[in-house]
Amino acid sequence: MRESEAMIEVRGLHKSFRTPVVKEGRFAGLRTLFTREYRLKEAVKDINFTIRKGDFVGYIGPNGAGKSTTIKMLTGILHPSAGNVKINGFDPHQQRRQVAKRLGVVFGQRSQLWWDLPVKDSYDILAHMYKVSAAEKERRLGELAELLDLKEFWLTPVRKLSLGQRMRADIAASMLHDPDVLFLDEPTIGLDVSAKRSIRGFLKQLNREYGKTILLTTHDMDDIEQLCDRVMVINHGQLSYEGTIVQLRDKIGLPTRIKITFHGPVQLPVPKGLSLPIELGLDEKHTFRIIRADGCEVHIEANRQQVKAMDILRVVGSWGEVADIHMEEPDFEDVIHRVY
Amino acid sequence: MNIKYWLGLYAVLIRSSVRSRMQYKLNFMLGTVLAAIIQIAEFLMIAIVLNKFGAVKGWSLHEVGYLFAVMTLSKTLYRTFASDVHHLETYLTTGDLDQLLTRPVPILMGLMSQNIRLMPGELLQGGTILIWTIHGLMDSGQITWVVVPYTLLAIVTGAVILFSIGLATAAVGFWITRINELQTLTEDAAQTAVRYPLVLYPSWLRSILLIVIPVGFVNYVPSLFILRGEYGSWLLYGTALIAGICLALSLKLWKFGLTRYQSTGS
Repeated sequence: MRESEAMIEVRGLHKSFRTPVVKEGRFAGLRTLFTREYRLKEAVKDINFTIRKGDFVGYIGPNGAGKSTTIKMLTGILHPSAGNVKINGFDPHQQRRQVAKRLGVVFGQRSQLWWDLPVKDSYDILAHMYKVSAAEKERRLGELAELLDLKEFWLTPVRKLSLGQRMRADIAASMLHDPDVLFLDEPTIGLDVSAKRSIRGFLKQLNREYGKTILLTTHDMDDIEQLCDRVMVINHGQLSYEGTIVQLRDKIGLPTRIKITFHGPVQLPVPKGLSLPIELGLDEKHTFRIIRADGCEVHIEANRQQVKAMDILRVVGSWGEVADIHMEEPDFEDVIHRVY
Repeated sequence: MNIKYWLGLYAVLIRSSVRSRMQYKLNFMLGTVLAAIIQIAEFLMIAIVLNKFGAVKGWSLHEVGYLFAVMTLSKTLYRTFASDVHHLETYLTTGDLDQLLTRPVPILMGLMSQNIRLMPGELLQGGTILIWTIHGLMDSGQITWVVVPYTLLAIVTGAVILFSIGLATAAVGFWITRINELQTLTEDAAQTAVRYPLVLYPSWLRSILLIVIPVGFVNYVPSLFILRGEYGSWLLYGTALIAGICLALSLKLWKFGLTRYQSTGS
């Protein structure tokens, strides 16, 4: 089946940068100039992964973890110090131009468009560059213009676009030649809620309906949660996690918060001499915690991998008459914070 | 390889580049006029010096004017078509080279089609001086009209040599990032030096300008044959050969340099 084909294969990828050691103390500037000392900064260390055709993968990590460096090696911008990359079977360095033809790249921080020309002109140039026929160009632009609402700034020079407009224009530009793979480096950075939503909607459609393989880096965990099937977490240049979002939550095991409101008085099973929070258990292994109680409200934390919600409710029901229950899953941001 | 595709694409890119530039009309016109004034002032300097002292080591005012004009025209040709090769430093320090690397176009072609500079001031000045010197030398019977095609050949090979030097210097930027001062040495200073006949300089400097930074081949070496009939016409073909070698070497260095590109953090 085509679906299971490997689209991006990364094996033993390394990248180190050499920077001269900056001296301190007397004549520091001069001594730095003549120094032969270099510090080797390993930005990416031994990364391996495979992304199959049609996958939507989130690539996350704190600032400086090596996300952009990895993306730049995948897109052929940087040459790896060791290891290799295959995009659809091609090496993005030895066969840069072949790979570039089948690749869409969006860097949130930097526009790929012609800065001083109207948006439309950039598309004409790109169509020429990627050998997109005039008819094909019109058809795709028509579609893209509608999905991304491009018409309102069609003739505006790129430098005068708002950030949200520019990002939409950039994403459309990356799709004009109908690439198989899309690399998005922080495509929602600095955007307002509605701009983010429209871009997410579009990306989801690209992946689900058109089967595009997408690799996305972002600091916005909502992007990841709403779009990606899988996440890879990079930290200090190494992959620290790879799997589905559900697996990631489970692995970290942050507690679910439960707020229970009672009618009337509550009899908490707190032994004399102990104060909250306390640990309660159905048995040795299945425990949950009462965090605090204010009048009729009781706050509980439980790890749902250990104890089922129904079991907790059964216990809680014996404390008084339950009026309302509110459950809150751990925030994805918190989950990620733990991984970092 | 589809020649028609590449030529078409190059034309499209150049057109876009010119249109981008025309967005800032005043800047463009001012730049053009100022460049022309600077060029003329520079030549006047040389003319005044030569007028005062007559010939320089046996080179007449017309002959020195010829050296000057050929250098100006070669340089104009090089800088018109490869403006941003000279400005690679900006691309390295801002990481702007990234976007050229993600396109299915050779990097050098991408770079050379950005910010193309029209240099009518330099062209006019160089052309005027060239016509004036050739006219003067023909009047005195030193040369005949055959120098015209030879001169055109010299201008083109000269542009190739200057381009190679510029490209090699730019490629060094992949290792050292800031290349401003190096360019001052290998491009600006060297080009200025060979506006005067090389016989003026001590032999070590002459060797540098012929071997290390071969700017001497842009105007001085060809003019030995074109103006003075020294050596023979093989001098021109030899110069063309050297231009070809320089180009091949600088392209090799450039290719290797690209693998050392570090981009910037984001």
